[in-house]
Amino acid sequence: MANEVVDHGRRRFLTSATAVVGGVGIVSAAVPFIKSWEPSARAKAAGAPVTQSLKKIESGQQLIVAWRSLPVFIVNRTPDQLATLPKQDPRLVDPKSDGSSADQQPKYAQNGTRSIKPEWLVMVGICTHLGCVPNYVGEIKPEPFDPDWQGGYYCPCHHSRYDLAGRVYQGVPAPKNMQIPPYHFVDDTTVQIGVDPKEGA
Amino acid sequence: MTKPTLLKRLFPAFALSLGLLLAGQPAAHAEDDGQLMASGANIRDQASLQRGARLFFNYCVGCHSLKYLRYSRMADDLGLTEQQVMQNLDFTGAKFDDPVISHMPAEDAAKWFGKAPPDLSLEVSAKGADYIYTYLNTFYLDPKSPIGWNNTTLPNAAMPFPLWELQGEQTAVTRPGSDEVEKLELAHPGKLTPGEYQQATRDLVNFLEYVSEPAALQRHHYGVWVLLFLALFTLLAYLLKKEYWKDVH
Amino acid sequence: MANVFASIGDWVNERAPGLMPVYRKHMTEYYAPKNFNLWYYFGSLALLVLVNQIVTGIFLTMNYDPSAAGAFDSVQYIMRDVEWGWLIRYMHTTGASLFFVVVFLHMFRGIMYGSFKKPRELVWLLGMLIFLVLMAEAFMGYVLPWGNMSFWGAKVIVSLFGTIPKIGPALQEWIMGDFLPADATLNRFFALHVIALPIVLLLLVVLHLAALHEVGSNNPDGVDVKHGPKGNRWDALKPADGIPFHPYYTVKDLVGVGFFLLIAAFIIFFAPTFGGWFLEHDNSIAANNLVTPAQIKPVWYFTAFYAIVRMIPSAFGTAVWGVIGMFGSIALLFALPWIDAGPVKSIRYRGTGYKVALTIFVVAFLCLMAIGMDLTDEYFPKLFGAGIDITLWDNVFGRIMTLTYFGFFVFLWLYTHLGWEKTKPVPERVTTHD
Repeated sequence: MANEVVDHGRRRFLTSATAVVGGVGIVSAAVPFIKSWEPSARAKAAGAPVTQSLKKIESGQQLIVAWRSLPVFIVNRTPDQLATLPKQDPRLVDPKSDGSSADQQPKYAQNGTRSIKPEWLVMVGICTHLGCVPNYVGEIKPEPFDPDWQGGYYCPCHHSRYDLAGRVYQGVPAPKNMQIPPYHFVDDTTVQIGVDPKEGA
Repeated sequence: MTKPTLLKRLFPAFALSLGLLLAGQPAAHAEDDGQLMASGANIRDQASLQRGARLFFNYCVGCHSLKYLRYSRMADDLGLTEQQVMQNLDFTGAKFDDPVISHMPAEDAAKWFGKAPPDLSLEVSAKGADYIYTYLNTFYLDPKSPIGWNNTTLPNAAMPFPLWELQGEQTAVTRPGSDEVEKLELAHPGKLTPGEYQQATRDLVNFLEYVSEPAALQRHHYGVWVLLFLALFTLLAYLLKKEYWKDVH
Repeated sequence: MANVFASIGDWVNERAPGLMPVYRKHMTEYYAPKNFNLWYYFGSLALLVLVNQIVTGIFLTMNYDPSAAGAFDSVQYIMRDVEWGWLIRYMHTTGASLFFVVVFLHMFRGIMYGSFKKPRELVWLLGMLIFLVLMAEAFMGYVLPWGNMSFWGAKVIVSLFGTIPKIGPALQEWIMGDFLPADATLNRFFALHVIALPIVLLLLVVLHLAALHEVGSNNPDGVDVKHGPKGNRWDALKPADGIPFHPYYTVKDLVGVGFFLLIAAFIIFFAPTFGGWFLEHDNSIAANNLVTPAQIKPVWYFTAFYAIVRMIPSAFGTAVWGVIGMFGSIALLFALPWIDAGPVKSIRYRGTGYKVALTIFVVAFLCLMAIGMDLTDEYFPKLFGAGIDITLWDNVFGRIMTLTYFGFFVFLWLYTHLGWEKTKPVPERVTTHD
């Protein structure tokens, strides 16, 4: 049997060193597994820009297209609908989209209509509360949920309301305006979602 | 203290069987009885991969798809820009993120060649680089074949020889009194010298080897570091074990 | 930091006072013989591989598509489109092969040092059950990529059941749920591979370890340390030749783990197909029910047993004999504790006859493996000239090896039951070296 003298310092050092190196190994080995949950090349390819013709969308109508599996609302807003927008400001959480909603749209859509061209709204149709798809209630007429309804979006899940530029009203659960994706006009009647306009265009 | 244990006597047997295993492997590749030429493919040779890709997209993609390879992945791995790929290699109008799909309709192909040209994404995994390299070097003119071409590596192959303008035309020298091909001779030289043609097919096979497993590039890259790290860990564990086992000895 | 851990420990201990004794029983107060050698690494390594297979397997299921139409594509999706998917898959495929390497060595250790003998028969039987389930698990996993080898491998193995007289053909269809391996087959194999068999496997592993810790580990000397002298530096009542599993064997096993991972990582990163032995070339071709691969053979770890099937000819109009032979070759291993009645455990002190017989048995097993891998087809012409009749030579050689395999058990029974064995004296205490 060995002598009773144990070098505790060396033992402790080697134990810690092995534990640390082993720990680093386990953590590094976990990285590929965690990363494997990132969107795959296929998902990214499916998330490629979506091109949509606007010819068939009549005034006042909404079309929903999928981009990165997200519903994207494309609305051809009527002059009447556009006229309601400035009037909503006092009732909104962030009318100028420069407060809590500053990151909810690209710079080129940070304006009164939240769009590049005033009549065309292009917006990710996901409620900023818990991710449901709000209903488009475009007509300006009293609704059961709001006698003074000015047209906009009404979320069926928790009754959040937005105006026709996707700006959230005060007093509802949703905290922010709905998101505007990067998009640009390829020509007068075609929009591409997922790509910013070229500089100066 | 103890007599040599059986362990020591049996270990050579295990080592031997492992050696046998590894020695047996090259022949386990493509099933042919002839001699295969060594392709010399090396997927870390990026210039060769680029040349191989150019050949593939000029001569092969008309019939063969690479359905598991995306143009974008190829651009990343081969050091090409999106623009280079889209202008010089993508002749089918596919999007950058799309996989490489041949334009030839499968039914037509089956009608023309008797069977549809196979997808080549995994061809090197399945057949081995040497096999394909040899195959591409052993086409010859054969008047008896309905397509005019034959191949000594894959006799009666349904594929015409698309690289003939590069290699030229080989003809077969048969053994006297039989149909057996003894050797191939270059009857009409092509655009390339024999050496250049071998290099070209080497590049092409190299590209196909990359296509069969693009991750191989990453594997080699990370593997070295993983082994070094594990060596460090093993060393520490060994020292730790020695330290503790002082109690026991 | 240490204080935090200590107080968490106290907190748990107060609420679950039964946990600490379990830990002590299996780790710090599990006294293992101090003379373990290289052969004793493979048990813990098998456990390590099992954990690897479960973790990587779970992640593979996240992207794998268990349908005949989608399986092959989804494997390529994992290899190419899923970030790091190639690593996860190669860890799983390499792990599968290394599992068998480790388990074969672990089993051989048990035979060599008599670890299956009384009082460890139950440990051995549970271990053999693990081996059997592992083979089923490996076979079904092998089918999942739905390459052409997967497909035809499934076809051939399922056909083994078809050889059973009368019920065979119906049984075969029942197993496949179709007339050839198909969607239904793939779906049920997937379910069994990822859920049912792993649960059974885990349960058996727990029982295997529990049974082992009841009787204590054997050792290269086959000396029962539990019944030897008492008193060591940790405890006056515990075996003098025992050392606490933790920390001594945990740190020792860590060294084994390090070396093992070096080998495994080398294969994963630099030779994941292992020249076609771990991942076969023909499996890079999608399943095709009209074309059988030119060379159809099982993956390497089944080849020895498969060779036995091939070597036993049909008779009386049925091919069932080969299948009986194959299952018999495994059944005999189960019965080893009763076939071998020798009083001495370790080969170190057993008769020369046993040493010679075991060596021949190992050689026969490796030769059967080589035959099953078709290596003989390749090497016989090289060794004996190109003109020889390979089939004849293969059959003669293979049948001799098959007889040798079974002969080992017959010999062992006679040798030990009829008292032919001349053993050497077994020492009182374990011997150690270095």
